[in-house]
Amino acid sequence: MFDLDPGEELRLLVETTRSFAAEALTPALREAEAARAVDPAVRASFAQIGLAGLELPEALGGVALGSVARALVNEELGAADPGAALALDPLGPALPVLEELGGEEALATLASPLYSQGSEARAVLIDLDDSDLRVEGDRVAGHVPFVPADRAALLVGLGREGALVVSEGMHFESLRGAGLRAAGASSVSITDAPLAARWTDPKAAVRARARARVYVASLLLGVLRASCEFSRAYALERQAFGRPIAHHQALAFLITDMQMALDGARLLVHDAAWRLDAGLEATGAAAAAFAETIEATRLIGPAGVQILGGHGFMADYPVEKFMRESRALASWVGGLDAAREDAGRELCASSGAIALSVGEP
Amino acid sequence: MSLDFSIDPETRKLLEEARELGRREVRPAGLEADRAGAPLPPDHPYFARFVARGEGRTRWPGPEGGQRAAAARPATVQMLLLAEEYAYWDRGIMVANPGVGLPEGNVLALGSEAQKERFLGPFLELDRPRWACFAMTEPGAGSDAAAIRTSGRKDGEGWILNGAKCFIGNASRSDWILVQATLDPTKGRAAQRAFFVPQGTPGLGGFKIEKKMGLKAYESTSFTLEDCRVSGDHLLGGEVRDTSRAGFKTAMRTFNAGRPVIAANAVGIGRAALDEALAFAREQDRLDDPRVRDRIEAMARKLRMARLVCLRAGWLADREQPNIVEASMSKAMAAGVGQEATTLGMELLGSRAARGDHLIEKLHRDVKAMDIVEGTGQVQRMIIARHLVQLPR
Ligand SMILES: Cc1cc2nc3c(=O)[nH]c(=O)nc-3n(C[C@H](O)[C@H](O)[C@H](O)COP(=O)(O)OP(=O)(O)OC[C@H]3O[C@@H](n4cnc5c(N)ncnc54)[C@H](O)[C@@H]3O)c2cc1C
Repeated sequence: MFDLDPGEELRLLVETTRSFAAEALTPALREAEAARAVDPAVRASFAQIGLAGLELPEALGGVALGSVARALVNEELGAADPGAALALDPLGPALPVLEELGGEEALATLASPLYSQGSEARAVLIDLDDSDLRVEGDRVAGHVPFVPADRAALLVGLGREGALVVSEGMHFESLRGAGLRAAGASSVSITDAPLAARWTDPKAAVRARARARVYVASLLLGVLRASCEFSRAYALERQAFGRPIAHHQALAFLITDMQMALDGARLLVHDAAWRLDAGLEATGAAAAAFAETIEATRLIGPAGVQILGGHGFMADYPVEKFMRESRALASWVGGLDAAREDAGRELCASSGAIALSVGEP
Repeated sequence: MSLDFSIDPETRKLLEEARELGRREVRPAGLEADRAGAPLPPDHPYFARFVARGEGRTRWPGPEGGQRAAAARPATVQMLLLAEEYAYWDRGIMVANPGVGLPEGNVLALGSEAQKERFLGPFLELDRPRWACFAMTEPGAGSDAAAIRTSGRKDGEGWILNGAKCFIGNASRSDWILVQATLDPTKGRAAQRAFFVPQGTPGLGGFKIEKKMGLKAYESTSFTLEDCRVSGDHLLGGEVRDTSRAGFKTAMRTFNAGRPVIAANAVGIGRAALDEALAFAREQDRLDDPRVRDRIEAMARKLRMARLVCLRAGWLADREQPNIVEASMSKAMAAGVGQEATTLGMELLGSRAARGDHLIEKLHRDVKAMDIVEGTGQVQRMIIARHLVQLPR
């Protein structure tokens, strides 16, 4: 039965996350960006309220919530500081890869250690199609152009056929990074390293990719929401030609279209997350949700800056950061083209009419 | 309660039935009217069959103490999904269908018992195809509804109406027309009232069925009111407003189910176009072309998004939560997406669409109106902006 109410438990989770983000992340936005790190006290309270192990099984000390919870939490974190959100989450979108391909065992041996108290160690997800890693036997070498981290305990590579994990022999070279600097930014060279794990399982890879897309898309939703909210409030304050700029129809309609794009993308992301949790086919839905969120990014990122005019271009306001960071997030997990490719292929492979139907498997 | 995007089995079953009926009855009737370039005549067998199936009846339960139990208000979410499905088969026919149509909500909310009995009574069980309609738009005022000039002047116990209306769906075949008029043109919406004008009332005339680009299955009609006299009991709600019904206006400002219906219609038309486009591309072996696939993917995604935005508006209405912004968003978005989908179809089909005899070409004409009726896309954005940034009127 169609219902958009997340229910009591998740509502509480959202509220907790929102206050955490407002108190701990938003005020430190620029500091975290400059420091390329999150304050240890912030990390501690993040773990304490249970946000670190959101999707981790209870047996491993996690809360074992699903993709809907993840989407809701990520939007709140992304609305404050997506870089910090990545810095704080030990596995981020790499978790679904370990879980879907390696199962509980991989989570226990590879993921679990990263959740220990105060650890800054992280796993980062890389797209094997977007890097040039060469695997020979049980060894790997090559180059990854960008990861949102200054260092990582694990590199989790996701490809079409499967996934691999590297835990040693990585050399991180610091980059400026287009955004998400609170999480760090570097390129990674691997000369000749052993593989910590390698799985071949195209089906699981597809599912992992769908979950990773929901992860990134929901962070993006947060950034877009922040951009919409900030620019809207500004447009009500700023006067030009004798009235608030928001009361000029050209801007009023732009603000309306930004909100519409955000709301629409969010519903697609939630639908995809719900499908994942319900065990329904979700590949196309998650790919489409990611694609739509990226298209919303194309509108909202720059428009948020435009509404502030010259002020928007300056680092005194956060909208330029929203624009850069939404762009950086949008290039992850293959970005727009790969998402459209996956969604389109699934659609065109079907026979007969297009099953747009909500909730139909 | 938790997030849930599934459709309940009852609605699924109704959708299945609608699909069957759509294929068998609705699409052929719509195509027939489109080819003829004229509305289906009132005595068309399609309408007789429609009435024979027991459709087109009013939601009004009948006189107090009457036989029929009040029909439960259908869930808006369900109603929207059905509105989408019927529009998939033919949106024009949906409007052409007999029944009270647009004015029903107003009459149910504001009408006296006597007015309901007199004007809705014949729709309790239709003895033949019957229609009613609501006339707001005028040649000089559409979006700016406060600017209508049709006037109502008190004359003894009755009222004298003067003015001109245009684009009114089903007007010439209606048993009665609910005419929006102003009692004082200087006072805007506050001075507007609605009058029942029965067909045949002296002074009501000049009916002209417009030739339109699409949605040809139903008539959109202009007419005039020249010293048209109706008695006092034809003023909707009576002269002294019943304060117990004063809540209606407030409710209208808080809930809206009409705009999401048009939005659902636009999604339905868009979905029909996309299915046609996909079938065509498949037949022509063009699905391996990434350019084609990308476009189909984008349309499917946007249509799904528009549907979800539409259902959200309905879901809020079902929970009696304010949905004005969401209702306007659904319409603004879906009308755009519907147009994009039919355009994609036209472009994919190329010269085959330009011939003018392909379903896509009809859908491309039909869907345009979804961005015009019940408030244009611009008007929807104005409504949203009033809430988002307090855009002044
Ligand atoms: C097929 C069809 C069926 C219809 N059926 C009915 C019916 O049954 N009953 C009925 O009463 N009416 C009906 N209408 C009329 C319909 O409601 C009006 O056409 C509609 O409200 C627009 O009004 P208008 O045509 O006067 O356009 P206008 O109001 O003149 O608008 C012209 C253009 O200006 C734009 N515009 C207007 N104001 C603003 C503003 N403030 N800011 C920015 N842009 C603005 C509009 O968006 C539009 O693009 C029907 C119309 C059609 C096409």
